[in-house]
Amino acid sequence: MKRIRLGSATGWSRDRFEPASALVRDGNINYLCFDSMSEVTMSAAQVARMENGDTVPYDPYLDDRMRPIIKACKEKGIKIITNQGWLDPQAAAERVLAIAREEGIADLKVAAVSGGLLLDRLEELDLTFIENGARVSSSPDKIVSAETYLGAEGIVQALRDGADIVITTRVADACVYLGPLAYEFGWDFNDHHLMAKGMIIGHLLECGCQVSGGYFADPGYKDVLDLHNVGNPIVEVTDAHVIISKLPNTGGVVCEATCKEQLLYEVQDPSRYLCPDVIADLTRVTFRQIGKDQVEVFIDQAGLPKTPTLKALIGLEEGYMTEEMVLFAGPGALERAELTREILTERFKRVDLVAEEIRMDYIGLNAVHRESSGEAPSAPYEVVLRIALKTRTRKEADKLRREVDPLAVNGASGTGKWATSSPGSRVRPVVGLSSALVPRELVPFSVSIHSL
Amino acid sequence: MKQTILREIAHSRSGEKGNHSNVSVIAYELADYPILLEQVTVAAVRKLYGPITRGSITRYEVPSIGALNFVLEDVLEGGRSRTLAFEESGKALSSLMMTLPMTVPDSYIERSTNTLKKDTQ
Repeated sequence: MKRIRLGSATGWSRDRFEPASALVRDGNINYLCFDSMSEVTMSAAQVARMENGDTVPYDPYLDDRMRPIIKACKEKGIKIITNQGWLDPQAAAERVLAIAREEGIADLKVAAVSGGLLLDRLEELDLTFIENGARVSSSPDKIVSAETYLGAEGIVQALRDGADIVITTRVADACVYLGPLAYEFGWDFNDHHLMAKGMIIGHLLECGCQVSGGYFADPGYKDVLDLHNVGNPIVEVTDAHVIISKLPNTGGVVCEATCKEQLLYEVQDPSRYLCPDVIADLTRVTFRQIGKDQVEVFIDQAGLPKTPTLKALIGLEEGYMTEEMVLFAGPGALERAELTREILTERFKRVDLVAEEIRMDYIGLNAVHRESSGEAPSAPYEVVLRIALKTRTRKEADKLRREVDPLAVNGASGTGKWATSSPGSRVRPVVGLSSALVPRELVPFSVSIHSL
Repeated sequence: MKQTILREIAHSRSGEKGNHSNVSVIAYELADYPILLEQVTVAAVRKLYGPITRGSITRYEVPSIGALNFVLEDVLEGGRSRTLAFEESGKALSSLMMTLPMTVPDSYIERSTNTLKKDTQ
């Protein structure tokens, strides 16, 4: 019976670097899969390119991710699937070829899966925002990015074309797993139960070690060993079974509880988990511990036909935001933080600050759960006043630091300073993300092969 | 019967989807799922998250794994891309759920005192 093992190298673009090498060395895997995206990745990349034309259009960590493993993967026949292509997968593929040459690899096929970028087609597509029903093309805010979540078909085609490495633009995160599974097992994209099986496996693995003990520990309630060396997950798939495990001699844990948490992670209606290639019914999934750090996943006919549309994310230039912090400790810390808040509120009036939103929170009391925070101690030892604001112009946002820095000499007693030696401005542009649905037939993908 | 908090019965994970967040509630023991169904209601959850949730709160039931999934709409002040909140991802919201007051039988063995936490060891 055919048996395919996929290793999860990263759960997002700035995840740890070592697990990829460990999986290649010890994981006995057929595929190494990288998810390098979050919702904001593409718009942030677009903005970085606008601010500095020298910024690469793909994941800036591409070199650091590929260089340590590319030769060993080629020698062992491990294929690499990664969505690090971001805005320009073809440029990323060319870069990987250059790395391969430097590493002394003689022959290599890299496939770039492109498509889904809509920025130049917004007039013609005439989309509407899901959030408020307004027409995208008449948005008052400048649109800086627009891309759909593609499905896994491009990855399958790339593998059929003989690619050793597949680099994609934005695909749904789970597709870097669904793609190789559909290819290996010859799954028909119209068989929604098989698509759901692959999508659910991908969903469980897409956040890396969030299924193998990461983001799980709660001392005394959920104890996890050696998180400093947490092992990334491996999934073994045959027609008969799906088993999640992790590298031996690593920290973390693979148990039913970690799998359950990840199954529902960032899910809305579990009975209708919308993906580009299928709708998956996550209520038809169960888990069974079959050994130490080994969980079998049972997926029972969990597919529903895919929707006629793909989801697109649209990045909108919405002004600027900035933040400052002022530090207090010891007797009266909270009272002095409150006084500082009053001073700043008056100063904002004096300098005619025009802000769309202002937040002032006391870190240590109510900054994380905000207005839903539990009751605060009446005399906390430390309080950090955090001030954040959003403005239409950079000039207005710059006013915040001009009011906070002087507090060092004209504020409350014992006012501590945060990062004042960092020069210049902490003001950054806001690129808000909204979404729209695009008829899938209007979003073709393409595969190009780049060879040594 | 005795009073406790949800953290002693269930675990949770939260994350973001645009301006919404989901917070799961998963029974450590499948047998405790009915307690969750009965007491972890939308009304109870709104008491915790109401002050920051500008939209609706929906509860989804997942009996196959003994879990509930709550979706809080419009809770991230515009979502990670535009929020002014110090914590921008919704990933820290699960710990608020763990504070929910619960009533359990006197004989109930709470998670923190259960020495047989086989599942994670």
